[in-house]
Amino acid sequence: MHGHLSQAEFLAGMAAFLGVFYLSLAIMNAIAAAFLWESGRGVTLFRVNVFGLYSLPFTTPILWLLVATYFVALSPLAFSGDPYMMWWVSLPTVVIDTIDYWVNPTVYTVGSLVFFGSLFWMRRFFVKPVVAWSCFNLVLLFMGFSMTNQSFSAIVTKADNVPIVGLMFLLGFFTWLATSRAVANDDRALRGEPPLESVDNEKVLVWPDLVYTELICMVAVLALLLVWGLLLQAPLEEPASSVKTPNPSKAPWYFLGLQEMLVYYDPWMAGVVLPSVILFGLIAIPYLDFNKLGNGYYTISQRKFAYLNFQFGFLVLWVTLIVMGTFLRGPNWNFFHPFETWDTHKVEALSNVDLSQWFWNDLFGVARPKAPEGSGGLKQFLYIAYRESPGIVFIIGYLVLLPPVMAATFMRKFFIKMGFIRFMVLSNLMLMMGLLPLKMILRWSVNLKYFISIPEYFLNL
Amino acid sequence: MADAKKPSIEDILASCRAADAGGDAGAESRSASDAAVESPKKSADPKTVGDPKKMSVADMLAAARSEKPAEDVPSQESSAEPPAAKAAAPAGDPRKMSVAEMLAAARGGGSGGASGEKPAKKAPAAGGGKKKSPAAAKSATKASAADAAAPADTSSILAAARAGKRGPVSKAAAKEAGGSVAGGSARSSKSAGKKATGKKAAPPMPERPSFRRSQPVQPAAEGRRGFFLSMAGVLFGSYWATGLTSLVVTHLLWVLGLARFMFPNVLTEPPTVFKVGFPSELGEGQVQTKFKAQFGVWIVESAYEGQMEIYALKTVCTHLGCTPNWLEAEQKFKCPCHGSGFYKDGVNFEGPAPRPLERYAIRVADDGQLEVDKSQTFQEEMGQWSNPACFVLV
Repeated sequence: MHGHLSQAEFLAGMAAFLGVFYLSLAIMNAIAAAFLWESGRGVTLFRVNVFGLYSLPFTTPILWLLVATYFVALSPLAFSGDPYMMWWVSLPTVVIDTIDYWVNPTVYTVGSLVFFGSLFWMRRFFVKPVVAWSCFNLVLLFMGFSMTNQSFSAIVTKADNVPIVGLMFLLGFFTWLATSRAVANDDRALRGEPPLESVDNEKVLVWPDLVYTELICMVAVLALLLVWGLLLQAPLEEPASSVKTPNPSKAPWYFLGLQEMLVYYDPWMAGVVLPSVILFGLIAIPYLDFNKLGNGYYTISQRKFAYLNFQFGFLVLWVTLIVMGTFLRGPNWNFFHPFETWDTHKVEALSNVDLSQWFWNDLFGVARPKAPEGSGGLKQFLYIAYRESPGIVFIIGYLVLLPPVMAATFMRKFFIKMGFIRFMVLSNLMLMMGLLPLKMILRWSVNLKYFISIPEYFLNL
Repeated sequence: MADAKKPSIEDILASCRAADAGGDAGAESRSASDAAVESPKKSADPKTVGDPKKMSVADMLAAARSEKPAEDVPSQESSAEPPAAKAAAPAGDPRKMSVAEMLAAARGGGSGGASGEKPAKKAPAAGGGKKKSPAAAKSATKASAADAAAPADTSSILAAARAGKRGPVSKAAAKEAGGSVAGGSARSSKSAGKKATGKKAAPPMPERPSFRRSQPVQPAAEGRRGFFLSMAGVLFGSYWATGLTSLVVTHLLWVLGLARFMFPNVLTEPPTVFKVGFPSELGEGQVQTKFKAQFGVWIVESAYEGQMEIYALKTVCTHLGCTPNWLEAEQKFKCPCHGSGFYKDGVNFEGPAPRPLERYAIRVADDGQLEVDKSQTFQEEMGQWSNPACFVLV
């Protein structure tokens, strides 16, 4: 996959794609500029003083026209396929080195948490069309510049992964759409106006409005699938064998979050218990939710708790893990930087210890308690429970002691409104959700393997 | 009382109790008053009267029991006093009579003159109005339920009725009987009734058809033959048993066939016991991967707990069952699915694998070659690696 081609050959192969890519970006921006110009929705960003005589407005159509011109200029550079020319459309080495130096699972996960947090706190800024469109352009530009890197393009253009790249953009678009409508509604609510959805609630006919829309969507999706099927080959692999596992062995993209969870937990925990908790937690939402606001319209400020909880579980814990599993996990399920060659022999020291090992061996310097040879089942069980007591105490404390603390402190209002049982269900669901990042952080920071490790009974947590 | 088609439980009870109260001796005389008590209820309802086909089970039962002993009574009375009946008809609304009243009347029976008279008037009131219609007779028939030989409860009455086949059991038969009574021959029917009530023994049973005739009890066939015969009876004694037997036999054959299927004549999978060469072929610290593809086993010569051993490691990750790879450069087994890593001795040290790789049984065969037996596994966390069956000392 990598290394078979020299950089010059590789760039020549990428030239046509990148040229078309930048040309499409230029057309896209030109269309945006024309649309804003025609519809008169353009916004004046600032005014330019020309020789002190005129004060010309610098509007968004002008900005996007300039951006389109920039992309038009990039296009022939990319079309050239010449390493020297292509240097102008490649990421500087220093950027790649910086990314490779900094990106690891910890930084990636904490960074995505910070990223989504900042998106939330500064949502009024990010939902502005100018800002959102700029971000979109920047991401596309970054991707285009990165495509001249062999390792990056090998991962991104893999037939398996192309749809996931598309999904990332789709997800970004829909998150932006929902957030911008929610922000608009929240602003209207501050001014005492009804939400947009209740203003724009004119009745629409099934025929022809809905049916025509559906027909057009149908044709468009069919066309897309046809093009996709023709351009990208089905990612078939070698015949399955029970003694040979592909390396890396990846689940379907939608299960990559689960596969990432399996790295930190035992199969029955990450494959059975936690997915069930996710499902039952989603089912329980209507019974736990006492907030009657936000019914039928987008809002964030009226449902902050629900919004943050869901976005944390979905965007941070699910989507970023899918992205991580798709693009950043390589052979032997090692973590690879986006610009790193997938080396099967990459050595990553991951000597993990169980909590009981750390507790007995490292903290107290004694061997872990072990039942004498030939002792009965009950005695062995008691010894095992004694051995794993630190983890058992920790987990019980986590799930039993924390809810009252939460009820007494920052979730006081919830406890009063929900009552004991509903609050316990809610808090335990939240704590279960928190188990995953907790374990991830502990794995990376102190190489913790399991809180409770009882391989004798196949019970590990 | 509102619904005359269905005599309420109270009605039936009343009639039964009346029979009890009257005792054996007064059965005949009381029947008249009883009939009088009951008949207004029946005949008062025009539906019942107009539609003789709508005869309730209770009616039929009554008819069956009485065998027309009392039927002539109301007819006699009604014929005797038609004017009185006509006079009483508008005044005495029979429907206004409460259950308690009727019960009282019934209990009073033949002895109570007043109570006996009042219903007696009412009965003809209805019956006369209909001019001795079959319905009137029928109502009388029903009323005479009280008369019938005083059985204690409904079931016994039913049983008696069925066993004796003494009366009409179908509606048609009951109607016929009622009609005949109404048409006359009061005398004969009355005598018949007397005979029936007087003599409580059941009439002779009708001739049974051959297939219903009870077989003479044969002496139990003793010994084996008897056993086989009875077994044959259980298995094939009826269509039901035969069907069930064949079903069971078919399933048994299926299960046997399935069991045979589990042991095919030719096995394409590698044997679970196989030889992997001489111990001398292995170098010190070597992991032999050539048997992985076919047998799923690594043959390793390495130090474990201070002694050099040759052991066979199972190539299945203890986390989720993927097949790890031996990385010669890093001297470790590494699973491609979730990154679990194992030392050369199979002990887990990185990734999520909770326990060491498993060992297969290994021994030196008679010809000096190493022989691996995959039917036995040894787990370190269970303390089974100290078992000498899972390693060969070098």
